[in-house]
Amino acid sequence: MADILVVAEHRNGNLADVSLEMLSEGRRIAGQARCELLAVVVSKDVTALAPRLARWADTVLAVKAEKLDHSLAEPYQKALAPVIRERKPKLVLLGHSSFGMDLAPALAVDVGAPLASDCTSIAMENGAITVMRAIYNGKVNALYSFARCETAIVTGRPGLFAVEEGQERGTIEEINLPVDEKVERKRFEGYSEPEVSEVDITKADVLVAVGRGMKEKGNLQLAEELAGVLGGVLACSRPVVDYGWLPPGHQVGLSGKTVKPKLYIALGISGAFQHMVGIRGSKAIIAINKDEKAPIFTDAQYGIVGDLLQIVPMLVKKMSELKR
Amino acid sequence: MDIVVAVKQVPDTSEVVDVIKIDASGKDIERGTLVSKINEWDEYALEEALQWKQKLGGTVTAVAAGPGEWDDTLRRALAMGADRAVRVDEDATVIDCSAVARTLAALIRRLPYDLVVFGAQSEDFGSAQLGPMVAEMLGIPHAALVIRLQVEEGEAHVERELEGGTRELYTLRLPALLTIQTGINRPRYVSFASVRKAREKELSVMSLDELGLSPEALTPAVELDRLELVPAGKRAQLLSGSAEEAAAKLAEILRDSGVI
Amino acid sequence: MALTEYKYSDVIHRCFRCGYCKFPTSFVEVNNCPAYARYRLESYSTGGRLWLIRAWLNDELDWSEHLGEIVYSCAACKNCAEQCPLPFSGDIVDMIVAAKGEMVERGSIPSAVKEFLENVDRQGNPYGTARSKRGEWMEGTDIEEYRGQEFLYYVGCVGSYDTRAQQAARALGRVLQKGGVSFGVLGNKENCDGNDVGKLGEAGLFEALAEENVRQFKDLGVRRIVTLSPHAFNAIKNDYPRLDSAFEVLHYTQLLRDLVRARKLDVSSGFNAKLTYHDPCFLGRWNMEYEAPREVLRTIPGVELVEMERHRADALCCGGGGGNFYTDFLGGSEDSPSRIRARDACATGASVVATACPNCLTMLEDAVKAEGLDDRLKVMDISEIVSEACPPKGN
Repeated sequence: MADILVVAEHRNGNLADVSLEMLSEGRRIAGQARCELLAVVVSKDVTALAPRLARWADTVLAVKAEKLDHSLAEPYQKALAPVIRERKPKLVLLGHSSFGMDLAPALAVDVGAPLASDCTSIAMENGAITVMRAIYNGKVNALYSFARCETAIVTGRPGLFAVEEGQERGTIEEINLPVDEKVERKRFEGYSEPEVSEVDITKADVLVAVGRGMKEKGNLQLAEELAGVLGGVLACSRPVVDYGWLPPGHQVGLSGKTVKPKLYIALGISGAFQHMVGIRGSKAIIAINKDEKAPIFTDAQYGIVGDLLQIVPMLVKKMSELKR
Repeated sequence: MDIVVAVKQVPDTSEVVDVIKIDASGKDIERGTLVSKINEWDEYALEEALQWKQKLGGTVTAVAAGPGEWDDTLRRALAMGADRAVRVDEDATVIDCSAVARTLAALIRRLPYDLVVFGAQSEDFGSAQLGPMVAEMLGIPHAALVIRLQVEEGEAHVERELEGGTRELYTLRLPALLTIQTGINRPRYVSFASVRKAREKELSVMSLDELGLSPEALTPAVELDRLELVPAGKRAQLLSGSAEEAAAKLAEILRDSGVI
Repeated sequence: MALTEYKYSDVIHRCFRCGYCKFPTSFVEVNNCPAYARYRLESYSTGGRLWLIRAWLNDELDWSEHLGEIVYSCAACKNCAEQCPLPFSGDIVDMIVAAKGEMVERGSIPSAVKEFLENVDRQGNPYGTARSKRGEWMEGTDIEEYRGQEFLYYVGCVGSYDTRAQQAARALGRVLQKGGVSFGVLGNKENCDGNDVGKLGEAGLFEALAEENVRQFKDLGVRRIVTLSPHAFNAIKNDYPRLDSAFEVLHYTQLLRDLVRARKLDVSSGFNAKLTYHDPCFLGRWNMEYEAPREVLRTIPGVELVEMERHRADALCCGGGGGNFYTDFLGGSEDSPSRIRARDACATGASVVATACPNCLTMLEDAVKAEGLDDRLKVMDISEIVSEACPPKGN
């Protein structure tokens, strides 16, 4: 059976956004390929999660795992491998989230299925699967196809595929996972939440975000001046936190915060997807970057290609003049 | 404690570098003008391994599966402080991670290790697959996207990076494999002189044959059909002129938008 | 390296903190050390820095980012060496460079310095911009590639990549053409001169750059070199190995002086302004060339040359040396040396401050803007002033 199987990720009782995206994409592909969509979730309590999955999937495999509260890679791998071997789906879909990165490659080796990660588009025609991936800092798109195989695994880029929630349709099949008495070689110890910083960038209307292009910590002062004259708050991309120029509370992006300001000005930020995922909800994005090929210019409304160390002081000056 | 670090050499395609061009085959980029460097994630992985070697004693072995040019990166690893380096001679155009994983797993199996570290992903292809694949092939537990690590008494306490800044905490029994996320440490600088001195350290090269691998065993299951350039700056309206002129235009746009 | 292995271990403790290193000869200000001017903390003066270095090498002090920044905030301007009354004064900057070298070998350097050095290693310039863009400054000019002409015009990284400094690079090209000089440039084949790499303590990389450059010059049959930047002038003149080829190197103000004296350069269109001249450290204190730029300026009709209170050997460094034009350890304050210098220039009543170094040019231009003085004071490179003073072709 040429089915599509979507692996659902969940945490603290909620399905991950990326899973809803993959379910929607799976539904679309299943529709075109005229095949069944299955969804699988592994959890201690499947009664809350399974019915939601049934809005997309024809069949929900609700695997009850006694001790599992959240999606964790090893328990999921142990539960999914026999399911995949038995059901032989043509395509297994999950999100390229942190969980997906921890799970998918090992699972692929375990079941002997080829894997394509972080895909930006997925197609299945006559049983042949092709995907597109962004490589070389997002400047090149690569098209891949899978050689003849029984099952292929694809992880999709988070925040890209549109979510279309369906009507109640699927049946729920409960599966009980035998309790694994073996001593855990990878023991889950819990979660830790990020420290609350004094600055809450998620509440700001205007954000001035700095990236690697600022070149050194001293230049952040220019961004602060701009934030001051615009009535905004300073934010940043990941490398700025890696370098220790700003504390993590200012970080926007996949491993940082998601923001929806009215205005987002990106200074010296290339626009890597991990960052862009955090700002998609912004009303207006303006980018200043030296490199006209920087991916950020595809998401911004306005941009200036040039030396931000010259442009930003000018902008501060012009804004101050206009305010008077 | 014996640590094995897998490293990769990639072309420098960061934002300030020249425009990328697709080559005549349509399946690779033109590499002529591009400079090579160590994969950024691998730098953090190496630094982490070296810091743990400094704290707990033991050895650090750098490994790579790639062509002769990659010896530059292995020498850099030796200069940073790795004790020895081993490269499996393999074409860099092998892009199927499971094939590369099989090669590295075959190599690492022959080395003593308590901990194996990989960078979380590579700058060029960014699949983030290699580490966990190798772990599965070696039959050891793994954790991907490690942002914090504590090693004590045969166990690795790690924090995995999740979305939104949340961390997932694990204790793994060694031997284990970790993939390292940027920002876990600050990689040290490698001086020119130290790279020269590192020529005295052992860098051995092995063939696939010596590892008992045949080219057939490495047939890719995922094939690259072709590469396409992403169209540049399509959506943004670029404001032209000198810094002053462009800034003035932008200032007016901002004022008119009513946001300020 | 333990203190005993450090090259200057026998003298480093002999600084007795007199503080002369912070002053100019006239004692008119205490902030003639650019790092001390910025921070006003003893750690950032030469004396303080030497004591911290000694403590670190002696394991009394652990390395930290902060210690790294203190040591790397030295702009290598040589005011301290000029003023120190002790017999080892000539070695002072080398002592700091040697300490930076030790940090480099241990791999413990501030991240901005790491980037600077890695960029030079990979792309031949501290900005990390592609090598293939190095020759872009020439677009629109008819400057030729070097093919055995009398002079190699060596531009340097700042002149090649910084948009403001590129204007000076082009201006000098025009002036050399007007003066009938036979010259060519290396374009994309030019590599970093390494002066600042050496002052950042990366001796290994400096040596590699120097050797490659000398080999390149030799292979091309270069005999005479004229540089835009005093940094390149300093490195090539004083620190490059000669191997078996002999070549002569001039800073461009020296060549212009020679042309003016030989009446080969016509500056009769003049340049009407009261101007002051800022002595670049690598031309002035490092190579004792104070006169050539002034002679060139004085021959231009309309120029009224006035001096800042601290000039010649007492000049306050713009703060761009020692890689600081990139790493920017001295920026971000009205006490930044470049801003103090901008105020010094303004105080003379001059409407133009003339520079002879692309680093000084960019540092002072940013400083004048930051001070809000850009309506009263223009920063111009001597090459640009001379270019304006030359009558257009066909006159």
